Amino acid sequence: MTLLFGLVLQTQTDWNTIIQALYSFVFIIYLFYAQRIQTMQMLRQIEVTLRKVKTVKDEARNAAIKSINEIGKPTGDISPRVDRFLDFFSIGLESMDPAGIVDKMDHFLKTNKHIYEAEVKTLAPNATDVERSDLENLIEIGQALNIYYKVIRHYYLMGKKTMNIYVIMQIHMILPQLLQMVEAYSSGIQAFQEGMPIGDGVGAIVVGKMMHGYPQRAVAEEIVAAEVPYEGRTLVVFKSKGPGGSVGNPDEGLINILEERQGKVKIIITIDAAGKLEGEPVGQVSEGIGAAIGGSGKEKFKMEEIANKYKIPMHAIAIKEGMEHVVAPLVEPLFDATDKAVESVKRIVLEYTEPGDVVVVAGIGNTIGVGQ
Amino acid sequence: MMTEKENSSPAAGMTVSWVSYAAIMIVGLLSLFALYMGFINYTENQEIAIIYMFIGAAGFAAIGYLLFRGRPVTKQDKLTAKKVEVFTTLECPKCQQKRVRDFKRGDYIFKDDEPCTRCDGKMMITRITRKKEEEKKQDSSWL
Repeated sequence: MTLLFGLVLQTQTDWNTIIQALYSFVFIIYLFYAQRIQTMQMLRQIEVTLRKVKTVKDEARNAAIKSINEIGKPTGDISPRVDRFLDFFSIGLESMDPAGIVDKMDHFLKTNKHIYEAEVKTLAPNATDVERSDLENLIEIGQALNIYYKVIRHYYLMGKKTMNIYVIMQIHMILPQLLQMVEAYSSGIQAFQEGMPIGDGVGAIVVGKMMHGYPQRAVAEEIVAAEVPYEGRTLVVFKSKGPGGSVGNPDEGLINILEERQGKVKIIITIDAAGKLEGEPVGQVSEGIGAAIGGSGKEKFKMEEIANKYKIPMHAIAIKEGMEHVVAPLVEPLFDATDKAVESVKRIVLEYTEPGDVVVVAGIGNTIGVGQ
Repeated sequence: MMTEKENSSPAAGMTVSWVSYAAIMIVGLLSLFALYMGFINYTENQEIAIIYMFIGAAGFAAIGYLLFRGRPVTKQDKLTAKKVEVFTTLECPKCQQKRVRDFKRGDYIFKDDEPCTRCDGKMMITRITRKKEEEKKQDSSWL
């Protein structure tokens, strides 16, 4: 080493020339290939994400097959059928002429639900209704992850083929959000496999706590309601029928209840989980007005329609949670928040109604692992 | 048409092996050497010395970029579906006896589950939650 440095110092002028030439060379190379280097860097990051998504997607598929085999006791190998169903797609509605699209959406969603039920029934003939609902949800997770995987792979391979930075950037820019969504779905595998309550079910838990012990009846498909007396008022509370993984048709539930009572309802209160903004604590209970319900928008539209028909004010209670909590097994702050939400409902009832009034309380969300 | 192999291994052949680490080592040594040359030349030929130092610094910056931003793809770089511990809380409506056990398939909130060990009542599942997560430190307390 000493000898090498000695030689270097002796021939410093030569080295200087070499280094300068190298420097110029690197500069010229960078001038022409900077974008290509950046492209390769982005491709590598997409590849890392793609590998992660593939692992989770395969886990969801395997979990679905394992659960179907354990619960449904099918005869023969169900893997090809599960793979075919994981590739199942729904073509979105054409909204060129939006008039009447809500009814079309209603029909579309019911068809979709019917297909899922029929497929799962064939896959798992020995499963109970509750287990079938959970399996439907598990397969839906597998389908969602499969779509994420295929879209990311499409852009990755397309980018690799064309080496076009703009093709690659489209997916590279949204990678963090995509990964966040994939992680959220992955945490739901365990919950749906074993039938555990999830973050989305907080609305159903709130109403479950209010209606437990009172006589219950079905008011719409997969919707149960109970009449609960409270401080001289009558609370008509309803939620999707648990403990299977279902969201039911709360819009139909509300319509039926209001039509039954000819609109003689003082206020409607909807309770649902809501996405929190960064910085907001998990399980924060917020109050507002409007219909607290997500989904396709069909349910929200119909609930607003019927409330508007009878001019009934709609109050909303939102329980804040992160994307990672929505389908994951329930965390403690969220369960604790359900007690606070029950208190909020009671306070709203006392503040905005008089004794003798009727109040409708709707617990929105997936009721997996939640009875009533 | 995509083959089955492509399907199962989306990025075959792009795994970064020891070669990358060797390249990092070589770049590191050359950068160190460039910095050394820069110091040696600083008194005699300042212009050349600055170029040497610039090359050395750029080399180290490139290493930093490789290590911190473009992490090498390894087999461990996977995302797996996390399994969390979930607990079921049972309460006896008669004597308020409380019991917490591991979740088992078939448990659901409001289920009348097992006989109470203290009285003749039946314990009901009142709570199913996962183990408390460790709270992350807030970046800024004023937020």
